[in-house]
Amino acid sequence: MHPPAGPAASPGPAAPPAGAELLRWQWQEVQVPCLVAAWILVASLAKIVFHLSRKVTSIVPESCLLILLGLGLGGIVLAVAKKAKYQLEPNMFFLFLLPPIVLDSGYFMPSRLFFDNIGAILTYAVVGTLWNSFTTGTALWGLHQAGLMDPGVEAGLMDFLLFGSLISAVDPVAVLAVFEEVHVNETLFIIVFGESLLNDAVTVVLYKVFNSFVELGPAHIHATDYVKGVASFFLVSLGGTAVGLLFAFLLALITRFTKRVRIIEPLFVFLLAYVAYLAAEMVSLSAILAVTFCGICCKKYVEANISQKSRTTVKYTMKTLASSSETIIFMFLGMSAVDTSKWAWDTALVLGTLLFILLFRAVGVVLQTYVLNRFRLIPLDRIDQVVMSYGGLRGAVAFALVILLDRDKVKAKDYFVATTIVVVFFTVIVQGLTIKPLVTWLKVKRSDHHKPTLNEELHEHAFDHILAAVEDIVGHHGYHYWRDKWEQFDKRYLSQLLMRKSAYRLRDEIWDVYYKLNIRDAISFVDQGGHVLSAAKLALPSMPSRTSMSESSVTNLLRESGSGACLDLQVIDTVRSRRDKEDAAMHHVLRGSLYKPRRRYKASYSRHFISPDKQERQDKEIFRQNMKRRLETFKSTKHNICSSKSKARMKEKGRKKKDISLTSDAPNGRTHRSVPWQEAAPVLVMVSSEEEESDSSETEREDDEGIVFIARATDEVLQGKATPGSLDVCPSPCIIPPSPTLAEKELPWKGDQADLAVYVSSETTKIVPVDMQKAWNQSISSLESIASPPGIETGPQHRRFACPVLEEQPQSASQAMPEQISCFQFPSHVSKSGRSLSDSSPDGVEQQELQPLMAAEEQGRALPPAEPRRLMFSRASHI
Amino acid sequence: GRQWQELPPGKRKKGERGSGFTSEQIEHLHRRFRQLSRDQLTIRKENFDSIPDLEFNPIRAKIVHAFFDKRNLRQESSGLADEINFEDFLTIMSYFRPIEMNMDEEQLDRFRKEKLKFLFHMYDSDHDGKITLQEYRNVVEELLSGNPHLEKESARSIADGAMMEAASICGPDQVYEGITFEDFLKMWQGIDIETKMHVRFLNMETIAHCY
Repeated sequence: MHPPAGPAASPGPAAPPAGAELLRWQWQEVQVPCLVAAWILVASLAKIVFHLSRKVTSIVPESCLLILLGLGLGGIVLAVAKKAKYQLEPNMFFLFLLPPIVLDSGYFMPSRLFFDNIGAILTYAVVGTLWNSFTTGTALWGLHQAGLMDPGVEAGLMDFLLFGSLISAVDPVAVLAVFEEVHVNETLFIIVFGESLLNDAVTVVLYKVFNSFVELGPAHIHATDYVKGVASFFLVSLGGTAVGLLFAFLLALITRFTKRVRIIEPLFVFLLAYVAYLAAEMVSLSAILAVTFCGICCKKYVEANISQKSRTTVKYTMKTLASSSETIIFMFLGMSAVDTSKWAWDTALVLGTLLFILLFRAVGVVLQTYVLNRFRLIPLDRIDQVVMSYGGLRGAVAFALVILLDRDKVKAKDYFVATTIVVVFFTVIVQGLTIKPLVTWLKVKRSDHHKPTLNEELHEHAFDHILAAVEDIVGHHGYHYWRDKWEQFDKRYLSQLLMRKSAYRLRDEIWDVYYKLNIRDAISFVDQGGHVLSAAKLALPSMPSRTSMSESSVTNLLRESGSGACLDLQVIDTVRSRRDKEDAAMHHVLRGSLYKPRRRYKASYSRHFISPDKQERQDKEIFRQNMKRRLETFKSTKHNICSSKSKARMKEKGRKKKDISLTSDAPNGRTHRSVPWQEAAPVLVMVSSEEEESDSSETEREDDEGIVFIARATDEVLQGKATPGSLDVCPSPCIIPPSPTLAEKELPWKGDQADLAVYVSSETTKIVPVDMQKAWNQSISSLESIASPPGIETGPQHRRFACPVLEEQPQSASQAMPEQISCFQFPSHVSKSGRSLSDSSPDGVEQQELQPLMAAEEQGRALPPAEPRRLMFSRASHI
Repeated sequence: GRQWQELPPGKRKKGERGSGFTSEQIEHLHRRFRQLSRDQLTIRKENFDSIPDLEFNPIRAKIVHAFFDKRNLRQESSGLADEINFEDFLTIMSYFRPIEMNMDEEQLDRFRKEKLKFLFHMYDSDHDGKITLQEYRNVVEELLSGNPHLEKESARSIADGAMMEAASICGPDQVYEGITFEDFLKMWQGIDIETKMHVRFLNMETIAHCY
């Protein structure tokens, strides 16, 4: 990536063209962007290659590989072009490559964690960096004075301090690249990473101050200059932060009003953050601090304001930009190293620097931690300190700064460049390679990457309030007190100012988590709808999919008694209770994938609005069908917030699916059937945007009236199905039971067409999407392969009602059935559930009797899981 | 009651042993106690009303309740105390001590359990050793009461969702009747409560300077 040579002069008006040209070679005109694109492409392709082998990337951090690749490419360029080209230019680095990485890390910084540890982070960033700079610089100077260095190194104390300031700063890019793969616990990570971000202010100030001192010459430095240096530190750091906050405020405010121009929402995020960076850079404040704080502070409001799609766009774009910047930085670092014209090697300087930065960082960390631990709630132990000392990686920032030095003023620049390159390479490659084994060896507490659970969120909120209350009661205005106060302030004024009314109304963290979990469930369900057959990944949108799923989870239990068609034989071995999921998902897929647009949408193109195109509509419909399933059991409760009614309701409904029996009033099948599910249609639109609601509710409703995939089973097919179905309780997923078990309750096609037994007939095979056909046929054949004894209960009655309970009161069947679904009962329902459960246990006996009828192979597989299941039943019937 | 003038040294020693506070901390807490109790020997619930900052706390009732919960006071009986004396006050405060560097595994575990027990008792408002759905709903409702736009039903469904989640962790059977403390512990597996339930002031010896 060469510095743009300016628009290449067009070939002069020398000779008039001989005639009209067919083609003209215009390399000059596209050279610069073309080279930029080519390098990015090379780096990206290299990434693909690296990740082809899991083994390599699990041992060697990507940053190492990229640096090595850069070295190789640099060598090639050197060999071909006979001179080192394509170096990492400081300007390019600071103006284009660094901002995306910093913005990404600021924006996605876990802000709570960051502010919880802000004291430690600031200490390490400020005191630590100062300590490192001065000690390293002074020690090197001492080494020089002792005459251990080559006499060619012409440098005084100020030069060494300058070098110390640039070499001692921990680099955010390198730290992030390595630590992301190491997975240490989050506190440790945030401290090291936060330090690497916030020390920028110190580095910038020290660098500038010493640089000016060097330029002034030691003789001309006055006492006031030192004072100015200290003052400029506060100015640069606080100023940078202020710039960041200002732009965060602006950004949040702007996104409040983008309701009608959703399409450029993501642009604002990038633009304003970048402008913040440039503005800070312009007045030589700490640009990294500006972007970091802009990112941290705006996120909450921006995320609340922009649409779901914009959120995704922002997330992906930011990650893409940051990742490619990082790739390019490391690759160019490698390439820059081959430029021997910049090198001037001095062994003493190089070894001394390596030794001192490691030594003084370790000493610094230990000293600071000793002090910090007296104040910290959770002390940092020795192991943490080792990782922190060892995790101090240097990177491209140091390199760019050393390149920026003025050779005329700093005589020893070449020595410094060489040393910096070695230090960077050493820290990134050697430390980067060894830190993972070290972390494993020291048994550093790793972060458990569990997804947030609702309980956790609830408890955490309770904690916050408890701790704030205790501080109130004791009358101590500590951390929790101020956090509480800040939150109140934020809630009352800031959020109100910076958030849309609609967003502000719903603003509640617990609710957010709840909402997100639901959405994620739904989405993951839909996502997996396309891959039903890769059963290993399959998970119902149920809580256990989030939490580590214990075998005896409620939903599992629910599934157990549920029914399901086995679509994949391998499932039998892997999971015990997937039948129901399979069934649901299969049906879902059928309904989803088989969706045929009933209407041709006009080909429309708009630059400003993304109109939901066919595919999107289809997605939406699929999504809705999933939701429909979840909403199925929703009883018509009117408990939502005025404006965001439907949004909330969707969640309510979604939850209700699982909670039917949790709600105090008995779920009423009739009621929920009478709730036309189309009511929920606008809901789904609401998820992404508010303003679409009016038009879409209309059309979508219409859509929905269209083809509803109902495969009406012929009697013959029914019987075929019914027969194995009598083995209902057998956990083998191969069996499609006829009884109205849980799954059927949950599944969408049951609820609104209670009279139709929807069984997928073999005819449907024809319209099964191609990718599913094989498995589908398989499942069909597996069904047929099962010996078909005369159904114990056949006929329509049997289809729907297997349980005595239900047969007693066929009219209220649908009412009773949800009861049966839920093994998750609370006292008011206990008796009932116990009954229905024990009622179904005869099925277990039945199953045993019938088992001989099953193919031997089937039986073998089915049996083992059957045991735990019966256990569960007996447990349940105790209630 | 008798006017409190100075904390008798004997009592101070006792408190120090029982709760693990330094004497400075105890002195500070004692001063605060007197301030709250208006120089009475005991604190009653009404005394907490005088703390203005507490007013906005959505779960203040539960928290104040916890101070009078006999289970938290390490008393044999359960139920609510009408008033608590300074020792009880210290006992409650000791739940919020931070961990110390020199604690071994066993101590940490006990420490953790104590803290969780406090939370558990706060949720279990009817003192039957189980957090029933209704109790959980109450907690969530109170937690969400700060937001006037969310209605009770929303809180309820959140609680239901959380309860389902709990059920998926602990196994469904137990949850029929409510979450027992054992289940509660299970739910907290892998979450470092000891890193969360602390109040920093108790770690600082310079606290007395605040007053």
